[in-house]
Amino acid sequence: MRNGGDNRGRLLLISLIVTSLFLITLDLRGVQVIDGLRSGSQTALSPVQSAAATVFRPVGNFFSDITRLGRTRGEIEKLKADNEKLRQSLINRTIADAELLELKSVLDLAGIAKYRVVAAKVISLGSTSSFAQTISIDAGTNDGVKENMTVITGLGLVGVVKKSYPNSALVQLASDSAFRVGARVAGSQQIGILSGQGTSKAVLQLLDNQTTLKVGDVILARGSQNNRPFVPGVPIGEVTSVDNAAGAVTQTADVKLFVNFSTLSVVAVVVGSPKSDPRDALVPKGPIPIPVPTVTIYATPSGSPKP
Amino acid sequence: MFARRFLISFPIFAIVYLIQESIVSQFRIFGGGVSLFLIFALLWSALGTPELGALTGFGAGLLMDLSQTTSGPMGQWTLIMILAGFSISYLGYGDDNFRGNPISLVVIVAIAVPLTRFAYLIIGLMFGSELGSTLQIFISLFSSTLWTVAVVPLLMPFVTRIHSALFEAESRG
Repeated sequence: MRNGGDNRGRLLLISLIVTSLFLITLDLRGVQVIDGLRSGSQTALSPVQSAAATVFRPVGNFFSDITRLGRTRGEIEKLKADNEKLRQSLINRTIADAELLELKSVLDLAGIAKYRVVAAKVISLGSTSSFAQTISIDAGTNDGVKENMTVITGLGLVGVVKKSYPNSALVQLASDSAFRVGARVAGSQQIGILSGQGTSKAVLQLLDNQTTLKVGDVILARGSQNNRPFVPGVPIGEVTSVDNAAGAVTQTADVKLFVNFSTLSVVAVVVGSPKSDPRDALVPKGPIPIPVPTVTIYATPSGSPKP
Repeated sequence: MFARRFLISFPIFAIVYLIQESIVSQFRIFGGGVSLFLIFALLWSALGTPELGALTGFGAGLLMDLSQTTSGPMGQWTLIMILAGFSISYLGYGDDNFRGNPISLVVIVAIAVPLTRFAYLIIGLMFGSELGSTLQIFISLFSSTLWTVAVVPLLMPFVTRIHSALFEAESRG
């Protein structure tokens, strides 16, 4: 065999080669038996492979990770960075959505009253150097924002511009204890002075002792001369309790302010207003009562039985 | 006698094939992994006569053709393995110095593995298979050589013992 082999060896080799070529020919011609052989072997082998995968895959992954250690670490770092970017963009998107909603509501309010407004973002809340309740906004004199202008949101009065800089302004909030605004009870001509209390509630003191307040009354800004510092008709809050103390010269009431000052992000500064007072047009709509269906049953007496 | 020897070898090859397909294939290592079955078949062939080498190649090739990872037509591996099994056993047949030296076996199998795979690639090309990236082919062939060099010394004691136990007992019988 070393020098060519005997005839039997040659014959065996040739017959094996011919068999393999025969198999190739059959497979290339698409004979079903060949496909059946492969699929049959896979059917028999797949349960074993599944079991082995369960047992050995962690080991395999370990070896795979060892060989790809540098790349894997790089991929993890890249994915972490991507994840952080996506998380940040999601947060930004959520913030943008909330701001858009606020902006829409404030523009709706301004649109009803025909106020000319400059929208602004709140860039800082409060002050660590004083006890005054203020916010800073990113609109200033360059945008037409001046001192003593009314600041509103979609819910109502936020405060008044106290200081104006070229690109920012300081706003005194309605909740500040030094804040005072002339107020009017919606639906009537009762007027008073609303004072901030440093909380989400303010106190309204009526000027007239002939009138009475009720819980649920809506309080609006009365407006100032030349509409500064306050434009008329801006909703301020709702009466939550009335002090009917005997001997008091005038009636006082606690007012829950409409605006939530801790979540302010977008506000509008009223830079111009129409000459006409919007009156009660800006009073927030109360909840629409849900009609309760009633069923009326008519009982018709049947004919009395004859004795 | 060849047929009987072939039939005796078959269960061993079936077990190694099962290990290859179910366990070794789970490991994704450098260069596309190691083909334990191919190494085993070539090592087994190197230890036998040319006729037995061709028969071993035929059986091993048939099993390799049945693998789901095979992309070529049925019979392609069979053809390659017949030639590889015959050639590797023909080279060492009658030369006890060659067969008795483990380093010679490691070297010849380490050369035969990438050559066999390269021959499979060329014949696949003739049958219309996609060639793929040349660099990837080179890396795969090079790494298969390295893996063979690493695996053959570990596998050789078992293969030689089983081989001699089976065929020497058969010869004595």
